[in-house]
Amino acid sequence: MTLADSSIDSTTDSNAADIPASLFERLAGVWATLEERLDRVPILQRLADGTVTLHDYQRLLFNLRQQVIDGSPWIARAASNFDVEHFELRSAAIRHAEEEHRDHLMLERDYVAVGGSLAELRAGRKNLGSEALSGYLFHYADRPNPAGLLGAMFIIEGLGARRAAEWAARFQEVLGLADNQVHFMIYHQEADGQHTGDMEGILTSGLIDATTADEIVRCAEVVARLYALQLEELDN
Amino acid sequence: MASLATAYLTGFGSYLPGPPVGNDEIASRLGGTDAVTERIRRRILEQNGIRQRHYALDADGEPTELNEELAVNALRAALDDRGIDAVDLRMLACATTMGDVLVPGFASMVHGRLGGGPMQTLSASGVCASSLAALDAAVSKVRLGDHPRAAVVGSELPSRSLRERRYEGIRAGMDAHFLRWMLSDGAGAVIVEFQPHPTRLSLRVDWVRQVSLAHEHPVCMRAGMSGAEAEAGGTWQDCAMGEADAAGMFLLRQDVSMLDELAEAGIAQFEELVDTGLVDVRHLDHVICHYSTNVFRDVAFEALRRRIPSLDTDRWFSNLETRGNTGSASIFIALEEAWRTRDFAPGETILLAVPESGRFSFAFAHLTVVAPQASAPPASSLPSSSSSSAPSSTTSASSGARA
Repeated sequence: MTLADSSIDSTTDSNAADIPASLFERLAGVWATLEERLDRVPILQRLADGTVTLHDYQRLLFNLRQQVIDGSPWIARAASNFDVEHFELRSAAIRHAEEEHRDHLMLERDYVAVGGSLAELRAGRKNLGSEALSGYLFHYADRPNPAGLLGAMFIIEGLGARRAAEWAARFQEVLGLADNQVHFMIYHQEADGQHTGDMEGILTSGLIDATTADEIVRCAEVVARLYALQLEELDN
Repeated sequence: MASLATAYLTGFGSYLPGPPVGNDEIASRLGGTDAVTERIRRRILEQNGIRQRHYALDADGEPTELNEELAVNALRAALDDRGIDAVDLRMLACATTMGDVLVPGFASMVHGRLGGGPMQTLSASGVCASSLAALDAAVSKVRLGDHPRAAVVGSELPSRSLRERRYEGIRAGMDAHFLRWMLSDGAGAVIVEFQPHPTRLSLRVDWVRQVSLAHEHPVCMRAGMSGAEAEAGGTWQDCAMGEADAAGMFLLRQDVSMLDELAEAGIAQFEELVDTGLVDVRHLDHVICHYSTNVFRDVAFEALRRRIPSLDTDRWFSNLETRGNTGSASIFIALEEAWRTRDFAPGETILLAVPESGRFSFAFAHLTVVAPQASAPPASSLPSSSSSSAPSSTTSASSGARA
């Protein structure tokens, strides 16, 4: 079960605190908006239509890679800005940063396995959306106790847990790819599913007050928009 | 559920050194003008039906190229045919009976000469069927998704060791003369990719199967051993070179008395492909078969026609008569010429067949012609059409019907 799915249960669970329950509802709303937007992203439309090309898959990996390499660093930076009063969040962020810091290597192997050049991939630059997303996340992570970033994780991990495997399967189906060529997207279904489970625990732990909840929702809104922008602005 | 990619042949090349050499010109290249040798030569040539072949030898019988050069020339032709460069390859699988040198491996030498970037190499040794063993390895790695592009080449340069100087002073019976007038030089190559050619027809590799029956057959074709059975102390590496030479160990020999048995075993292997459903005789459109002599052409053709009554000579391809018997190169040289000169339509199938007399092995590959742009299946048809569980280690069957 993922965060967004759990929103209904949470609102009807009399034992759950009011704030997390409403937080789940609000995050589910952000997620729904993101889903609508993703449906209009050209490369994902082509994927759904079955007109996506190998070149599309290569470009998607190429563009994602430039931001994925920042994933662990912004989480690590956020970890370093949680004081001891937020020890649980600091621990979670450190663990999460460690788990993610080799992810881009998997993506790079997939890229090479579909005929891409590792040297070109590593020499690539972020697209407009990736610049905005990465800039925002690092900026946010610099703040003291950046608990709002749980909203960012809700979006990014949610995409990994709920959408990546579906994309991988569809790329495999349309392009005839082997598992060895879609490691990154398949892996994220399992890994991010675990991460979203961890995050549910945090969101329901009583650590989140009303102000923080607002920050989480706002951060989720911004990250959802910027992540979609990253997918819209491939190669730009 | 593990998903595999599909392997396609997207580029084809061959290289035959020098001008074609007619039957009357062989002796000027290889020697052997005495009356007895001439009589043997004429008899063998009449039987095998080969009218012309190529040698990497000049008019005086001196070598003009290395085996690795033949391989590289065929590879370049295949790369050009596909419109890519060596730097695009991630794997090179080379088949040959004998490379130019004892060490290092043939594929290392071919890669060194070809250039390109870092790549996996494989030297498949053996005789004729090493061609499809190399193909199987490349196809398997492509299907696993380990490599997007691989090249496979079969190449042979036996002519230099078939020259008179190798036979002088050595007692050489029919077993040593048979192959001397049978074998010649050449190379053939294919490009294997996980996507079909973007603008032209490709050949999807449905499966490759190689089987050895050495467990129940003695050696049929040999060099480097004193008798028909290998024994410790009795190989060319165990004695002085002069001794090994004098014993005739460096002559390539064939026990011709076993060849009828080889043909029967090969037909039995084909029958098994039909009986196990790997070949559907109702949907087998083309057969490209390697054989050393036209005697076997007729035997094999009749055997296939027993199972495929509709098989006519139009669907049967061989260029033995004009390109010679080039061992491990021959199946790729034949495939290249068939692909270039015949009409193929999407959905048609091709069976490659390579019997190897060495110690009774047989290799087959099943190919299907596919159009450049496969139309995508609808989203509702999940799971992936390219998924299939891996069959036995010697068989790679694709269910990725995306034609």
